[in-house]
Amino acid sequence: MSGLRKSFGGVEVLHGVDLTVTGGRVLALLGENGAGKSTAIKVLTGDYRADDGTITVDGEAVDIRSPRVARDLGFRVIYQEFSDAPDLTVAENIALGALPTKGGAVQWRAVRNRAVDVLRQLDVNLDPRQTVGELGVAERQILEIARAMAGSARLLVLDEPTSALSAEEVERLFAFVRRLRDQGVAIVYITHRLDEVDALADDVVVFRDGNVAAAGPAAGFDRAGLIASMIGRQLQEEIAELRATDRHDVNATPALQLDGASLDGVFEGVGLVARAGEITAVFGRVGCGAVELAEAMFGLRSLSAGTIIVQGDRRQPRSPAEAIRRGVGFVPPDRKLQGLLVGLSVADNLSVASWSRLARGGVLRPSVVERVWNRWRDVLSIVARRGARQDVATLSGGNQQKAVLGRWLERDSAVLVLVEPTRGVDVGARAEIYRVLEGLAQRGIAVIAVSSDIEEVIRLADTVHVMLQGHLVATYTRPDIDRGALISAASADSAAAAAPQD
Amino acid sequence: MSGDTSTTPGPTEHRRSLARSFGAVPQESGLVVFLVLLGLWFTLGSEFFLTGNNLRNILLSVSVLGILAAPSTLLLISGNFDLSIGSAAALCGVAFGMVAESHSLGLAILAAVGVGLAAGVGNGLLVAYFGISSLIVTLGTLSVFRGVAQLRSNGQTTRLDTFRWLGSGEVLGVPVQIGLFVIVVVVFGLVMRYTTFGRSVFAIGSSQQAARLAGIRIRPTLFALFVLSGLLAALAGLILSSQLRAASPNTASGLELSVVAAVILGGASLNGGRGTIVGTVLGVLILGTLNNGLTILSISSFWQEVARGLVLILAVGLDQVRLRLRGD
Repeated sequence: MSGLRKSFGGVEVLHGVDLTVTGGRVLALLGENGAGKSTAIKVLTGDYRADDGTITVDGEAVDIRSPRVARDLGFRVIYQEFSDAPDLTVAENIALGALPTKGGAVQWRAVRNRAVDVLRQLDVNLDPRQTVGELGVAERQILEIARAMAGSARLLVLDEPTSALSAEEVERLFAFVRRLRDQGVAIVYITHRLDEVDALADDVVVFRDGNVAAAGPAAGFDRAGLIASMIGRQLQEEIAELRATDRHDVNATPALQLDGASLDGVFEGVGLVARAGEITAVFGRVGCGAVELAEAMFGLRSLSAGTIIVQGDRRQPRSPAEAIRRGVGFVPPDRKLQGLLVGLSVADNLSVASWSRLARGGVLRPSVVERVWNRWRDVLSIVARRGARQDVATLSGGNQQKAVLGRWLERDSAVLVLVEPTRGVDVGARAEIYRVLEGLAQRGIAVIAVSSDIEEVIRLADTVHVMLQGHLVATYTRPDIDRGALISAASADSAAAAAPQD
Repeated sequence: MSGDTSTTPGPTEHRRSLARSFGAVPQESGLVVFLVLLGLWFTLGSEFFLTGNNLRNILLSVSVLGILAAPSTLLLISGNFDLSIGSAAALCGVAFGMVAESHSLGLAILAAVGVGLAAGVGNGLLVAYFGISSLIVTLGTLSVFRGVAQLRSNGQTTRLDTFRWLGSGEVLGVPVQIGLFVIVVVVFGLVMRYTTFGRSVFAIGSSQQAARLAGIRIRPTLFALFVLSGLLAALAGLILSSQLRAASPNTASGLELSVVAAVILGGASLNGGRGTIVGTVLGVLILGTLNNGLTILSISSFWQEVARGLVLILAVGLDQVRLRLRGD
């Protein structure tokens, strides 16, 4: 596609973008949120029509008037959300929408055979009879792609497909994508993650503010160069910068302490201390039990054994409301579903955890709520052009996350527990959130971050606890936090070697 | 996205910005326009429509609907329904009639309020604390309350001659029930905007999970909503009994559907999180005006039902278009 332009309501979001995708190669499409990646893709799929520019397929100009045209051209897009039917089997899902029938009756044998064919052709090892809801996330992702590839696909767009996958699952997905590439499919891979570019991409295109900021073979780029083209500012230094100050202080008061904390079948005998003014990280692969551990600290799960001591109080919090009263704040992993109050204003979102404090006799004055916004907008540098009353849903991912974080500042929480604090946040905003978290620690808050992102942990933590299969297996303290050590401690192989299991 | 707005708008641009300005129009102004057009049409169609007396009739006819629509707006914003309000109102009326036959008026009113409270507590417990869907709970109690009302009254209507003030009295020239309608609506509007309780309802409707993680106590809030709904059903039951000068177990049947229709017409979202009291009042007024005008134009009541349904679908359909244009 070349010279692509697209405007919404008088605002041009694509300013003449060129993009060339070649069969048998993986093109990584990078860019911050709002750079125009999704808009460009939606032009390809016929969801939007470009205002200007041309799209050629095999040298022939095409007019993608509708999603149907795009489909007939062999364009397929896999979005982050699953579009499968979880209660049906793998085979039914592959045939979905085109069930072979004879006289109105479904030909189950044909459904099976077709699924077996598709799976074999793509070299996918899935049982056609299995219910999709029982599959792992990576398998569902692969099935999703397999469904899309059934029929003649020549262009496959993957939109951040690994955001919910563990490291091993990512490998399986990558292997599958490489096989597709080797079969001659053109692949556009949208991502935020630079390590994935290294692992997968043949070519790279970076979008910034609706323009192509950089393009070329992947071999010609290094990470710093990619980051520089994505954010266009000199932020990369800051991102690469290691933390100058060393806050670790064994004498600081423990704000939250776990003692032999266990949850049947999830984690066991976990002991850790989070001190005021420190950032404590729990690092582990998806499914290691760290998320559930964080939930227990916030009263969302009750321990089967052991204690949680919050600011000297040994009683276990039994509900979020109680945990909040005792000074614990929580930033959940799924911002849209669990963090944001969509439809409510930024000011409401910042103040929600403090409403009962801000109200007088149950009456909550709008001016008081607006003052909360004024109090934190600069501290957190939240960008909301329409001010306190702007619907939080219309903010960018980074600003949304800051609104969720700021809630606990307003509430004066002593302990802040975060789960995957920068998931779905672009590189520039990520650096800002790290700065905010450091600011919180400097204010004397005990920050506990649960993360499966190794870069994040290295960038952020004063102390890292590594969790593997429900156990804390290693603890590192700055400056002795080492990438290699973290990776090997968090992977199952080393655990098997250290302590052979049944 | 980029802030580049300096490009000269082409024809498509114009179409887009027109579409966008339609999207930016607040929901309520559309309803006002619709109400005015409706009024205009009826005024042109009949000299009897735009008279002080008729407008008063419209208000009288929607007062009970409006009183019930206020708590239902909050319920819908929280993502819940109360379909039992019509039956609960009838049950409260029956309780009132039975006690009034042998005891004082005050005791009878207390009985009606008590029954409404009990109805609300029952619904609230089942939804908030047992976690059963409000649609199912109140669909059940809709039937249960109506049945109990029939059982207790043996299906008979009790005549009430002494209690007329609520249904046909006036204060300073304003009919009491219209006054109550206004008071209820204003109080609910203030509660929704200016209290922690009201804001919590919006938060719960936006995302129950997120609200819980922000420390909002979901169960007591939902429970209180159903109790409020029950209490206002008692008020509605009292007004209806007083107006009809009789307590009948069959009053207010089907009223819950008109209430839900009015609230949705007013812009409250079935998915929760969205809705205003002004919108609900406009929804109530549109339904009332439509009934009244069509009656004045002597259009068959069967056609009136058809019209009511079409208006609901049309209004909500337009709202969907509006939201889509706004890009939500």
